[in-house]
Amino acid sequence: MDAGKKVITRRDFIRVGSCLTVGSLMGLPLMGRVSARESEKSRVILIREKEVFDSRGQLSETVLENMLDEAVTALMDAPGAVSAWKQLVKPTDIVGIKTNVWFHLPTPKPLEAAIWKRLLEAGVKKENISADDRGILGNSVFERSTVLINVRPMRTHHWSGLGTLLKNYIMFVPHPWMYHGNACEKLGAIWQLPHVRGKTRLNILVMLTPLFHGVGPHHFSSSYMWPYSGLIVSRDPVAADATGARIIQAKRNVFFGTEKPISPPPLHIAAASSQFGLGNSRADQIQLVQLGWEEDLLI
Amino acid sequence: MKKVLLIFLILQTLGYSPLMMMQKSHADEIEGLSAVLPSQIGVWTAVPKDRIYDTDTIFSYIDGAGEVYRAYNMRSCLSRRYSSPNSPIIVLDIFDMGTSEDAFGVFTHDQDGSPVDVGQGGLYRPGWLSFWKGKYFVSIYVEEETAPAKKAMGELAKVVASLIKDQGSKPEILLHLPQEGLQSRSIRYLHHHALLNYHFYLADGNILNLDQHTDAVLAVYQRSGERAHLLLVFYPNVDKAAEAHKTLLLHYLPEAKSTGAVLLEDGKWSATGLKNKFLTVVLEADSRPLAEDLLREVLQNLS
Repeated sequence: MDAGKKVITRRDFIRVGSCLTVGSLMGLPLMGRVSARESEKSRVILIREKEVFDSRGQLSETVLENMLDEAVTALMDAPGAVSAWKQLVKPTDIVGIKTNVWFHLPTPKPLEAAIWKRLLEAGVKKENISADDRGILGNSVFERSTVLINVRPMRTHHWSGLGTLLKNYIMFVPHPWMYHGNACEKLGAIWQLPHVRGKTRLNILVMLTPLFHGVGPHHFSSSYMWPYSGLIVSRDPVAADATGARIIQAKRNVFFGTEKPISPPPLHIAAASSQFGLGNSRADQIQLVQLGWEEDLLI
Repeated sequence: MKKVLLIFLILQTLGYSPLMMMQKSHADEIEGLSAVLPSQIGVWTAVPKDRIYDTDTIFSYIDGAGEVYRAYNMRSCLSRRYSSPNSPIIVLDIFDMGTSEDAFGVFTHDQDGSPVDVGQGGLYRPGWLSFWKGKYFVSIYVEEETAPAKKAMGELAKVVASLIKDQGSKPEILLHLPQEGLQSRSIRYLHHHALLNYHFYLADGNILNLDQHTDAVLAVYQRSGERAHLLLVFYPNVDKAAEAHKTLLLHYLPEAKSTGAVLLEDGKWSATGLKNKFLTVVLEADSRPLAEDLLREVLQNLS
């Protein structure tokens, strides 16, 4: 190891955060560096509807679509859903909807369909819309895209601590493993690549049935999912992820009956703010608007 | 040496490489195991056909988690699925880790759960049973836990364990750990910096120069209501151990040169010592005496 290289150690975290909990890491102004957007608060909409699942646990497409509409309308401070979407996209835009296909917990198809519907209503041509995950590098719509909509479910993740909106863009690089170092801390760099930078207009973190703990090679057990029945919607991916992460952390603490830090710590959320200027991770820099069902909110 | 070279050239001429032969040998062993695995467990029937993954293809199967198994020198993985109408699928994965030390190591990566008497150590958490035996790490997983599935997982584990004939030894480095207050379920045996950070975040850079050729054990101690994390690393040679110690002091414990034990910013204590090829670090102890006692005891054990 290069003796001259500046190393960030556990002691740096202890100095500024007093303890190495995920809570401190998620909001940490790493090494005194300041987010490019720290001066302005990020608006985050958290919407929950208990009825999004029926008594048999089936997803209600209508309720889900209404949740999306209500959240986007509130986010854009618009009179209605279509006008809100018209603030996000224009008819000439080419829109890539970046989904997630992890088969245990994929982006729900009805949500994908609701996004398609609103994009079309906002005037975007059908042939200029595509939803994709693992094929985005060879997808002609994504290659020509002027706008990206980022939508994925929140879950714990073996290497990055959390599968987040920030991490969802890892498929924009040909060798994702290159970003696995130090708990995927450098994921924010992907958002600065020329074919990605500045295109993301909306981030939707799906919190319908988040996975708050993973076990084994497959990192999945339905025992560690719960019907939170929510969506987190924001223009700022860091703020949305940080909000979701706080909910996941709170759920872990409740479920395990003790503080159970997300492991490994999702360093990439704070780093996306402090190193890459992608948004705000600290709670005091987030304007959280809560809509809908309030029981067991966890935040 | 000439003889080895001659054999190598002959093998190359015949179209074999030693590396290819080793890989084939591991594949043969796991295929042999596949041939004797049960085709039926309770009402669950094996779904044709088994899949075998190597260090490259494992990512297509278990995504990024594959790196954990690679970090423990995984050779191959056999996967079999058992299905039954109206029941969740049971997934059996058998990892050939090459050595029993690494099979034990990957088992210690996740020590949550309730102990299960299977193989040389087993654990059960909701939906997942894991155990190690010999050079194999075995994972039995069900997406949605039901009582019959849990029972079938237990039965399958016993059968698989009985089919693995050889017992294996745990890593020798464990013998150097002081026994008083050692929390056995906290032991993590590992080689890689990323895995150390997974369990105990130390630094973004690899300040201990951990790699495939280093053996490390991380453990928690509880003594008289006080707690400490201890890390012991064995390097391939004295120079590498000394270099790692130097880097640790430079980046993490610069005060240790003058003060010995170091008071950290959160009121906990750290201490480090070097002996031959071993580097010991008490990472965080609740008190100075605990940090110094643990360090002294490890260094004595290394004598």
